[in-house]
Amino acid sequence: MMKRFLIALVVLMLAGPVVAQSGPLRLTITDGVIEPLPFAVPSFEPENAEAAQVAADITRLVALDLSGTGLFREIPASAFISAHSSFAQTVAYPDWRAINAQAMISGAVTVSGNQLIVKFRLYDVFSGTEMGGGLQFAGTVDGWRRMAHKVADAAYSRITGEGGYFDSRIVFVSESGPKDNRQKRLAIMDFDGANMQFLTDSSALVLAPRFSPTGDRVLYTSFASGFPRINVLDVTSVGTRQLQTADGEMAFSPRFSRDGTQVIYSLANGGNTDIYRGDIVSGASTRLTSAPSIETAPSLSPDGSQIVFESDRSGTQQMYIMSANGGDARRISFGDGRYATPVWSPRGDLIAFTKQNAGRFHIGVMRTDGSEERLLTSSFLDEGPTWSPNGRVIMFMRETQGAGGTSSLYSVDVSGRNLKPVPLPNGASDPSWGPLQP
Amino acid sequence: MRSAGTYISGIGHVVLIGWLISGWGFSSEPLPFEVAEVSVVSSEEFAAMVAATTPQPDAANPTAPAQPQIEDAPVPIEPETAPQVVPIPEPAVQPDADTPLPEAPEPPAPQSDVADVAPEPPKPPAVEAAPDVIESPRPQPRPAPRVAPVAVAPPAPEADVADIVRDAVVPDDSAAAEVVEPAQTPTAPEEAATEIVIEDATPSGAVTTSARPKTRPNRPAPAPPSETTSASDDVAVAAALAAALAATAPDLPAGPPMTGSETEGFRLAIGECWVVDTGGRSANVKVTVAFSLDRSGKVAGDVRQVTAEGGDQAAVDTAFRAARTAILRCGASGYDLPADKYDQWREVEITFDPSGMRLR
Repeated sequence: MMKRFLIALVVLMLAGPVVAQSGPLRLTITDGVIEPLPFAVPSFEPENAEAAQVAADITRLVALDLSGTGLFREIPASAFISAHSSFAQTVAYPDWRAINAQAMISGAVTVSGNQLIVKFRLYDVFSGTEMGGGLQFAGTVDGWRRMAHKVADAAYSRITGEGGYFDSRIVFVSESGPKDNRQKRLAIMDFDGANMQFLTDSSALVLAPRFSPTGDRVLYTSFASGFPRINVLDVTSVGTRQLQTADGEMAFSPRFSRDGTQVIYSLANGGNTDIYRGDIVSGASTRLTSAPSIETAPSLSPDGSQIVFESDRSGTQQMYIMSANGGDARRISFGDGRYATPVWSPRGDLIAFTKQNAGRFHIGVMRTDGSEERLLTSSFLDEGPTWSPNGRVIMFMRETQGAGGTSSLYSVDVSGRNLKPVPLPNGASDPSWGPLQP
Repeated sequence: MRSAGTYISGIGHVVLIGWLISGWGFSSEPLPFEVAEVSVVSSEEFAAMVAATTPQPDAANPTAPAQPQIEDAPVPIEPETAPQVVPIPEPAVQPDADTPLPEAPEPPAPQSDVADVAPEPPKPPAVEAAPDVIESPRPQPRPAPRVAPVAVAPPAPEADVADIVRDAVVPDDSAAAEVVEPAQTPTAPEEAATEIVIEDATPSGAVTTSARPKTRPNRPAPAPPSETTSASDDVAVAAALAAALAATAPDLPAGPPMTGSETEGFRLAIGECWVVDTGGRSANVKVTVAFSLDRSGKVAGDVRQVTAEGGDQAAVDTAFRAARTAILRCGASGYDLPADKYDQWREVEITFDPSGMRLR
């Protein structure tokens, strides 16, 4: 009996390694490459004569949007093997594979009076399939840029699996004049700096505008009364209303709650600054902090349950997280230097901040528990980060040194790559990125 | 008429021969060599020397050789340095069962250069039924080889062969025994035929040709086990053996295994085309894909997702697409793999793990 078991055991021991080697060849790859994904955008087909120019413009803007992310690289039309001049044309995948295009966008544009229709399809070249179904957008000819941004957003979302951010706007403080007599006005622009418009005049100093979650209103700090007060501005009508605060109180650094009905802000009273939450309509407020130190720059988590803010309660400016209803706060920044202006990512996983250390300013990110701190930029003065709607890009203000120094807006990918300025005619500061437009 | 050259040659040869005979100009000093002085020992002297050095046993009181001392107490063996206990990492978290995985694509269609109908597998050679062991017929005696003018029938078995035919004499017990003839054995002439008889067509049973070896005969039915065994144990052993053998046979790739450099080259070739978006959510997804390769190293059919860990469905889809693109893009002209090891890399399963590239 024992002999049989031993024989069986030997057979199994011999079979074990063989079994482990049987089946398919199994590999694990841990090292890939970080490079832009090549894509091709043949000129969108103008389906009538009037659409020729706008079709070309939309094609260019779609390509610019995608290339501007740093995640994609446009293959020039001179390298195309297939013309793909018709939207209904069958895609010659081998021709696109031959030029190493991984994605191909085909589109068509129709103009009827002021009506504009844009259709597009996205193809995965190497698998030889269409990614998602075809989409069609209808609008006005004047709004062709938004149409192009919509197409780019859809392509970006299908390729990356994340939402886009091209059809979004940014409110900021437009600056002009020398440093000692700088004029500041609220302004709004598309994400790429186009279509800039002023929202206020330069009669009063304005600071720290913040978009509402739906993008229809803006909170900002105004010194029109001599004291800092919080105003609510309707973006469509450009009408302004001041939030109720007591005389002698200085309210600043406001942000909307996630549902847009409340505002969290800082209130300085009697030499002490704390964080409050107030109702936008009734003005009723609740004090969330009570430390004898300066607590300011609150930012809500995406689910609205927590608030990250800066405080000097430890002796220097550091970042803390507490419940949205107040209470005990835990410190999350422990590195060298001072941390300020924290902003919670729309994804919820990161917090962007301004760091000042050794005479330099940085824009950085860290996990919500304070780990994995990464500094993305470094300059004479970088501050005021704001997240893109998909949590992928951070925009901030950079000021150059000296009396003639100017401030401008920059954007950087969360990976630290693709740092670039936002083209604007004037100086700019305090950007706030709004949501994707409907 | 002899030429001047002939005379010159002759004179030269004569002079050379005379010079060699006289030995003029050669050194006559003998080569130096060393001489070692040795002493001669006779056989008697050598025997005396050996006898003086070899101990002679005492025939009267032989002494037993000393036994090695063995200590009763065992000496403890110093244990080897224990290996560091390394905790085994927790198994990877399985993907959420609620998350539906994309349907696997249809199996790859056969290549155009391959017939749609699979060829008939070669039939195994018919195995002849093993013959049962039968008793071999005894050889038959050949016909009489003797030739005589008159044919002679074979003698009776009890008769002796003799030239004179004589009947057998049996003692008659009934008659009065006046003359008693001694008993004698009958005799008969040796069997003979009138002509030479060739062998009969009927096989005699003797071996005539060298036959090919036959299949081994069936073993006789086993005798009942001599010892009493548990039926369940036998079933368990048989099942274990069958399972082990069944697991090895079908999946075992034939041919020599891939070398480390060949596998590494294949891995690097795909990794060069695997674009990782380190800032994206797909960087949190570890995806395993499977695909088939034809003999030219090109991907046959589609790339299939096997498993995925981490991230939501959109991130998983993006990670799978990046993996699939890497495989198809870098294998567009066929991977450089050893053709003689095709069975080893015909089916491939690759796990793309970007955790090391994720932003930290």
